[in-house]
Amino acid sequence: MGFLTLEGVSKVYGGVPVVRDVNLAVAKGEFVSLLGPSGCGKTTTLQMIAGLVEPSGGRIRLDGRDITQEKPNRRGLGIVFQSYALFPHMTVAENVSFGLEMRNVPRAERDKRVAEMLGLVHLADMADRYPRQLSGGQRQRVAIARALVITPPVLLLDEPLSNLDAKLREEMQFELRRIQRRVGTTTIMVTHDQAEALSISDRVVVMEGGRMTQIDAPYRLYEQPATPFISTFVGKMNRIAGVWRDGTVTVGNAILESAPADIAPGTAVTALIRPEKLRLCRPGEGRLAGQVASRFFLGGHWLLTVATEAGEIMVSVPNTGEEPAREGEPVGIDWTPATLRVETASEVAA
Amino acid sequence: MQKNGPIALLFHALVVGFVLAPLVVICLVAFTPENTLTMPTTEFSLRWFRAVFEHPDFVTAFGNSLWLATIAASLSVAIAVPAGLAIDRYRFPGRDALNGLFLSPLIIPHLVLGVAFLRLFALIGATGSFLWLTLSHVIIVTPYVLRLVLAALSGLDRSAEQAALTLGASRFTVFRRVTVPMILPGISGGWLIAFINSFDELTMSIFVTSPATVTLPVRMYMYATESIDPMMAAVSALMIALTAVAMVVLDRVFGLDKILVGEK
Repeated sequence: MGFLTLEGVSKVYGGVPVVRDVNLAVAKGEFVSLLGPSGCGKTTTLQMIAGLVEPSGGRIRLDGRDITQEKPNRRGLGIVFQSYALFPHMTVAENVSFGLEMRNVPRAERDKRVAEMLGLVHLADMADRYPRQLSGGQRQRVAIARALVITPPVLLLDEPLSNLDAKLREEMQFELRRIQRRVGTTTIMVTHDQAEALSISDRVVVMEGGRMTQIDAPYRLYEQPATPFISTFVGKMNRIAGVWRDGTVTVGNAILESAPADIAPGTAVTALIRPEKLRLCRPGEGRLAGQVASRFFLGGHWLLTVATEAGEIMVSVPNTGEEPAREGEPVGIDWTPATLRVETASEVAA
Repeated sequence: MQKNGPIALLFHALVVGFVLAPLVVICLVAFTPENTLTMPTTEFSLRWFRAVFEHPDFVTAFGNSLWLATIAASLSVAIAVPAGLAIDRYRFPGRDALNGLFLSPLIIPHLVLGVAFLRLFALIGATGSFLWLTLSHVIIVTPYVLRLVLAALSGLDRSAEQAALTLGASRFTVFRRVTVPMILPGISGGWLIAFINSFDELTMSIFVTSPATVTLPVRMYMYATESIDPMMAAVSALMIALTAVAMVVLDRVFGLDKILVGEK
């Protein structure tokens, strides 16, 4: 039994189902991300938890209490909006203080808690500024402080980092995780950024077309994606169509050795392997021969596309200080068979 | 910031010149010692300003206009804000009709409205009533306020209201503490435009004012039809001065940018 549970929750807008029969149990103190492309229903799900959108069906429970019909101002949840939604006519301190004022917290205690919270998000000296005088990252932290100061049972984050530039976004990911750990608030974050979801969450929920298709820890999600969509949406994945034959995947003349699987010979299958599970070796060595088609330098590693008999394959080469093969050069590709997973066409259809 | 070319600068200068020239001329004429509308050539005189205050009917008319414009602008804000919220946020039967109804006074000539109100006031025995005069002004100035309120609402980030709601505010508190402050530039701009429109409305007011409720523009009009002397210029100059002072005070106290443009 979770602290926050969604039971068969759905939402239909004008006959179009946006969220379909969603079930989720979030444990107390957990950080869960709702991950998916735009239009997958993740924000609608968050808004239903917040009480800003009324579910068409199902139940939402918080700590055992049914809150499905409860007004948003009674739920007491903290929300950080994508646009931050700060009150432009109030100072930082007044913004943070607003929720406490609504709870009739006495002035002295209010000031104390606002100061504490601003200290937590490193904005103590910004208390008297107006939101328009702050940078994007600072506004973001005000929004987090405003949501957390009311000590909500659940913190809801709607694409909290999407308006920040790449460098700042990375910093804020750590910051967000630090604050969440420190305060221990159960947190649900909506994001379309898989790297963000993987790096800060305890568990990731992938949504596709209004359904939750996989709920797993980041590592498991990455290693064992449940659907073809997840395999390409979360990280990079080589997907090679072939035929299952004698414990291998045959693509034309190429034979790809894979992990053992219980599949009837002759079945159409897709071989799945991550670029970083492939090793580049000298021509003539390895399990597959090819020629480098393109090469990108990404700092920590190189991403090569190698043209092989099995099609173009992405290979990630760690940057060890030596330059890998250039475009046009022949290379070999090797891998450990256990890391090459096989998916049958019927799985794809499901 | 892009630099203006010489032709653009000339154009701007001409526009500003054409707008300001009559105001400057009327102010100068007000200081003439002559009996006709002439530019003071030899000396400046305050004789026509004294003449204004020797006409108590002008002072009364000014007071009437001030009250009328203040009350009409305030009432129209009280109507336009809820109406704007309803039109902006909800889809209900008759929404377009309501929007059209509120904006229709903009389309109907004031002359027609004046005749219509004259007839109506005669029928209900409201001739000479300040209340009904005010209501007729509310009708003609509300469209301006509504337009500005609607524009402000359409640019409003609704998530700020949602944030306030989730922080525990009641709907009314959200309206009072978040919505109104955020659309304040639209509301105050609307009030000001409504005030100005009501203050210098002549065409309709000619029909619906009575000797007891005569407004300043009507008073001036009646005076000008009888005699043309520089006192009109003096009244105009006083109005210009008063407006300028009001603007400066408003700017010093509240900041006109903040009221009319909003905090960005």
